[in-house]
Amino acid sequence: MKKISIILLLAGIALYSCNSLIEDPNSSISAGQFYKTQADAISSVSAVYSTLDSDPASDFPIYGRNLNLLTGNGSDDQIYAPSNTNPDVRALGTATYITSNDRVRKSWVQHYYGINRANIAIDNIPKIPLTQFSDTTIRLRLIRESKFIRALLYFNLVRLHGGVPLVLHDPTTVVVNQLLIGRTSKDSIYQQIISDLNDATNLPSTYSSSNIGRVTGGAAHVLLAKVYVTRKDWQNALVELKKVITSGSFAGVTGNYNYDLNPVFSQLFNPNYKNGVEHVFSAQFGTGAARSTNTLSSSNFNSFNPSIYPGDLPADSTLFQLFDASDTRRSTTFFSSLYNSATGKTVVFSTPANSRFAKFIDFTITPLTSQSLSKVNFPVIRYAEVLLLYAEVLNELNGGPTADAYKAINNVRARAHSLYSGNGIATAATYDLTSGLSQADFRDAVFNERRKEFIQEAQRWFDLVRRGVNQGTGNSYLIDALKKLPGKTGAFAPTANRDTLYPVPQVEIDLNPKLTQNPGW
Amino acid sequence: MAKLPLFFGNYKKFPGFHVRKISVLFLLTVFTFLSSFGQQVEISGKVLEESSKATVIGATIKVKQKGPQTGTVSDAKGDFRLNVKSLPVTIVISSIGYKNQEIDVYEADPITIYLIEDQNRLSSVVVVGYGTQKRSDITGSVSTVSPGLLAQPSASFDNLLQGSVSGVVTTQSSNAPGSTASIRIRGGNSVNFGNDPLYVIDGFLVYNNNDNVNTGAGSGITVNALSTINPSDIESIDILKDASATAIYGARGANGVVIISTKKGKKGVNQVNYNGYYGTQRAAKKVQLLNASQWDQLQNDIYASVPVASRVGLNYFTDAQIAADAAGYDWQNAALKTGSVQNHDISISGGDEKSRYLISGNYFDQKGVVVSSDFQRYSGRINYERDVSKKFKVSTNAFGSRSTENKLTGSGYNSLNFNGAFPSLLLTSPRTPVYNTDGSYNTSTNSYLSTTTNPLQDIISTKNNTYLTRVLANVSGEYKIIPDLTLKVSGGTDISITKQNYYAPSYTNAGNSVSGSASVGMTQVNSWLNENTLTYDHDFNDKHFLNVLVGYTTQYQGGESVLANAQLFPNDISTYNNLASGTAQPLASSSFTSTTNSYLARINYSYKHKYNVTVSERADGASVLGANKKWGYFPSVGLSWNVNKEGFFKPFEKTISDLKIRLSAGQTGNSNVPPYSSLQSLGTSNYYFNNTLVTGLAPSQLENKNLGWETTTQFDAGIDLSLLNNKINLVLDGYYKKTTDLLLNVPLPLYTGYQSALENVGSVQNKGLELTVNTENIKTKNFSWRSTIVWATNANKILSLGKGVSNYFPLAPTGQVSPVIVAVGQPVGTFWGYSTNGLLTAEDIANGYPLLTGVSQTVGDQKYLTTSSAHKTITTVDKHYLGSAQPSFTGSFSNTFTYKQVDLTFFFQGSYGNKIFNLLQQQLELTKQTSNASASLLDRYSATNPNGTLPRATNAPVAQVIDRYIEDGSYLRLKNLTLSYSVPTKLISRIHARQLKVYVTGQNLLTITKYSGTDPEANFYTGDNTKQGIDFGVYPSSKTYLVGVSITL
Repeated sequence: MKKISIILLLAGIALYSCNSLIEDPNSSISAGQFYKTQADAISSVSAVYSTLDSDPASDFPIYGRNLNLLTGNGSDDQIYAPSNTNPDVRALGTATYITSNDRVRKSWVQHYYGINRANIAIDNIPKIPLTQFSDTTIRLRLIRESKFIRALLYFNLVRLHGGVPLVLHDPTTVVVNQLLIGRTSKDSIYQQIISDLNDATNLPSTYSSSNIGRVTGGAAHVLLAKVYVTRKDWQNALVELKKVITSGSFAGVTGNYNYDLNPVFSQLFNPNYKNGVEHVFSAQFGTGAARSTNTLSSSNFNSFNPSIYPGDLPADSTLFQLFDASDTRRSTTFFSSLYNSATGKTVVFSTPANSRFAKFIDFTITPLTSQSLSKVNFPVIRYAEVLLLYAEVLNELNGGPTADAYKAINNVRARAHSLYSGNGIATAATYDLTSGLSQADFRDAVFNERRKEFIQEAQRWFDLVRRGVNQGTGNSYLIDALKKLPGKTGAFAPTANRDTLYPVPQVEIDLNPKLTQNPGW
Repeated sequence: MAKLPLFFGNYKKFPGFHVRKISVLFLLTVFTFLSSFGQQVEISGKVLEESSKATVIGATIKVKQKGPQTGTVSDAKGDFRLNVKSLPVTIVISSIGYKNQEIDVYEADPITIYLIEDQNRLSSVVVVGYGTQKRSDITGSVSTVSPGLLAQPSASFDNLLQGSVSGVVTTQSSNAPGSTASIRIRGGNSVNFGNDPLYVIDGFLVYNNNDNVNTGAGSGITVNALSTINPSDIESIDILKDASATAIYGARGANGVVIISTKKGKKGVNQVNYNGYYGTQRAAKKVQLLNASQWDQLQNDIYASVPVASRVGLNYFTDAQIAADAAGYDWQNAALKTGSVQNHDISISGGDEKSRYLISGNYFDQKGVVVSSDFQRYSGRINYERDVSKKFKVSTNAFGSRSTENKLTGSGYNSLNFNGAFPSLLLTSPRTPVYNTDGSYNTSTNSYLSTTTNPLQDIISTKNNTYLTRVLANVSGEYKIIPDLTLKVSGGTDISITKQNYYAPSYTNAGNSVSGSASVGMTQVNSWLNENTLTYDHDFNDKHFLNVLVGYTTQYQGGESVLANAQLFPNDISTYNNLASGTAQPLASSSFTSTTNSYLARINYSYKHKYNVTVSERADGASVLGANKKWGYFPSVGLSWNVNKEGFFKPFEKTISDLKIRLSAGQTGNSNVPPYSSLQSLGTSNYYFNNTLVTGLAPSQLENKNLGWETTTQFDAGIDLSLLNNKINLVLDGYYKKTTDLLLNVPLPLYTGYQSALENVGSVQNKGLELTVNTENIKTKNFSWRSTIVWATNANKILSLGKGVSNYFPLAPTGQVSPVIVAVGQPVGTFWGYSTNGLLTAEDIANGYPLLTGVSQTVGDQKYLTTSSAHKTITTVDKHYLGSAQPSFTGSFSNTFTYKQVDLTFFFQGSYGNKIFNLLQQQLELTKQTSNASASLLDRYSATNPNGTLPRATNAPVAQVIDRYIEDGSYLRLKNLTLSYSVPTKLISRIHARQLKVYVTGQNLLTITKYSGTDPEANFYTGDNTKQGIDFGVYPSSKTYLVGVSITL
């Protein structure tokens, strides 16, 4: 008995030999196991793209919502909606935000989040042996795509906040003190952007089916042109623009990317026509399970109950009144009533003058209320902008508008009135801009056209800031524009500088003594 | 009352005064005394349990005398016979769990002895980590939950701990059937990870992680893993609080240890026990809302606040409509019903010379007070023990249970959205009929419904259920190598298998836009534990008592889960049972493993049970920590001194029966982070190219090889005092705890692309006092009154959050700002917001009183206070400390009155000084066109009510965290009131029953509180330490009335 019991007990101990304490996860991948193959390289770049329109914490994405909160609500296009119950969103719509505004912080986080992903791809993909790739061009292509997105995000940051910390590699430490750096000058940030974009111009001009939506060389040229325009480097801007304007439509241009305006404006926001001839680069949305797209600006509509407000509302009737009745952009951009197929009735939401935004409603969805399934892409760059930039650059370089400058802006206007047939040809000149404008008047006309063309497309705040100070009033164009709206109560702040740069998020300053705040904050 | 008095003489043992039978016994005693002189005399009697009047089997009856002991034990009927040399004689009756009694016997007549439950006496044995110890020798702070509290009807034992033991704060966060309670022993040590105590069930270590029984399918409050255990199986619960007691559990001891021992069979005849109860439940309090005509008027006020041009589509009601609407429709009432609760337990137990066994079965069923919420449990247990030889003993404890829970959908603590099924009813306009005239649900396109579906129908037709199967079993063998040296080897496993199903039909809000939404999830977590200990127990010359324990243990936990979702179903017939008929949605599967290896050692030494020392050390290695910091070492030392055993104490013996002083210090740890937290792991984030989904992968967290233990250092000083022959027992403890190297998500500079990294920084302290007083207030022949007072205070404070960080705001619900702050110098769970001072007047506006930025403020809007006169507007810098969810003190007061066969017990429990953020009220005071609002809005400012105290109605209200919603959460609650009657043994002996008791119980009958919400215990984010005391619309609490019967054959 004694022996048996001892054997039993010892057997009990032996059954459970010492467990290893080394962790070997089998349902998640650790960094050490990754960046070995072509598939790994492609996945790491897909993750870079994903930062454009998704948030790791399922918050609003950059494109589609968060950037719009800064550029739309922060400008004279939008005010707050009653449904903006978040005080930080409300504060952006009333120009009363402060340095600890959570949405400003979130936008900053998301931009750097994408930059970090791009840095990781740019650092790790070159280490994957070329033999791993099916095609020798893919490795370089993936790096260049990542560089474009890094440049795009830095371009947003430098315009929103001025000089920001320039981070080009993934951190290797978790120790906060070893990570603290200061702000890099605006010029150095722009140098990095230009260098990344120059590399990205070598990207393919088109992609085959499963790769449609990736960055093209043409997109890099346009973004580069936009960077030069922002810096008022008109000459370089012209060089870049000439490479993307389709040859044959304008004299002296060499573009072979086959971009053109889509003759039907509303198709630009119809998912059935996504990645069309006009879409130079878009943040890609699609309906699918594995990611949420329900925070797209398409919260423009969510219920047939007129008491339920969408997330964004036009500033006031003046925005609607910019358009004449035959401008197809008006009906694409706004709605005041909608047809409810379930009841067969048309629901009136507001008076036409107090319309709501319609651009990002996916009208292909049934029932229409299920906008969380919206597939509308967010156009980051469209060909209409190429033409308007071209008009602007020619006007600045030549001391006034040239014939091509007129042609460029008039093409955009003709298309808006369904009078554009393609390849630079308008079928009528009915809505052409008055000829013989001075340089200043033409400039105003271009900015006015940009406003009408790009409502809700994350442009307006940047445009107002880019124009600088209005010599007539001594104020910045941004402040003047905001002051016209009674809802923008905070725009009367005494420090004029303040409103042309968003603050560095307060938490970032609190954590890092090397960071300085923007003037006026 | 069991002591028989001597009418004359100078007997040494003549304790106190007694009233029993004095006059009757006078002559009898004289007679007996004389007649029995010089002969063998047989004395006989019966041993009964005092409160239940049940027979006590196996009680030891000994004659108190020098030299060889003579004695016997009570038999199956509680009877005993004992031959003694002569009368009078003093006999000692003892039985584990009861106070020893000494009785002077003068006559040969049968006597009845009532044994009293021993709650605190130093002579009793207490379960401690890896063994038992005489209470007199203990150096640590160990409290035993009173058996009376354990006998209360309850779905889950965690709910029974409320108010049971000083220093244990239990909050019943949700009242939904089967839901969980949050338990904190001596305050929360950790900010982010793991504040729950360790449970040791029959020696098996269980860290209750409700995530292990949740698959992600469906929604609603978390399933409570502890509810799988049948409370009736529990014999005792001991709670280890200080480091001397808990350090033997090392890395898992920091939050205290709850030791649960289940019932075992006893030597004697087979015994059958049945206990059953049935009761009804009703919602204790309703949320006060506007009725239809009041709501109409609110709509008109909103309408009036909007500029004329923007009024298109807004609600407006004529006076005739307002009058016609009257009270309207009460959506809350439509979902409330009378609930029920019933429980049936049956057990068979017994034992012979070599084996003891207990087999039990249980059925519990609760139907909630809200439609579509219920909980059922079937469970069974086998406990068996056999002495294979004099040296070798084997035993097993095994239980299995299957529970089913139907839940309301909506947010659980880990969801941040205000989308709960019950709140959706509160928000529905009272102008909208619940039903159509034909009795079907009203789903018309009524613009006052905030959704296009009927919220009541949503609740009733949505399936959201959980099936939880759990098996917890262990076997152990003990071998006495030499008489004092025992080797114990045990192995056990804890397996839980959860299946969750969810289906929202196409006509519900959740299923509407996607033509039906289904998900099915399954998760299986198994844990096994092997413990090997060697115990040496010896007393040297009855002076030096030594107990040495060494051991090695290893525990493994592994889990696997799958989750499948589908939408777009052609019909609602097969619900979640045929996902293939819909369109597949994201699939998920995952697995984890974690391991803990430990070495432990403890020495208990006592000199004559007078001076006691405990020294322990445990080394723990945890796989979840960083490569460089896997191992942690947790020492402790405890000292105690039984002052009453000193010679100089003799003079005080009559007043002070026991006096013990305890001191202890030690360290314990916490490593309760998810597996793989220290690795740089990749997360998926997907994108579309050409409308086709592609998978993206990128690092989601930084590697931290130095991720290590949270360490809690604790000092404790205590006094155990018994007065007046144990009529008053008092335990007082003071402690100081400091937790360092907190596992915190340290904010990184955001430009790194990471928001935070998990590091060991910062510290938190807890200090407090605990008092337990048990008293026997009155004790006569037929009547007794006993009371227990439990009182505790704990002050929690964050000492540091790491270099350069003074505070941070935890994640806020979507669309809102965080109402809480985690700040150095403040307790965890601190509310942060604006102070207000009534409403803005025309005068204020004229004087340029600072206005809130971001909204346009005018007369009748909330008037906010600045924190500095320099502020010309109100911005977020004017937010400040508004109170803490931490109570100043908690306590309970329980009383038991016994009159003959009738017992009456009542149990009050409460909390004082804690604040609650009434988030539900904040949401219900938002004036909206689409939802109902709180009845408090009747007092809003308006043209017709210029003296209103609440802000005017607008169409664009922004929810702010203001002082008005931070309410006093103090309460005193009559948790339990029970009246029971034990049928006299004479009557029930005819049906061969040993005990028969019937009782009626009322639970939660009375709550005294200033809190305006439905339940002052509301704690929406149960498991989240930083968001305590937030009432975001919890399941209604209920009053319960039940009747029960307990019978032993």
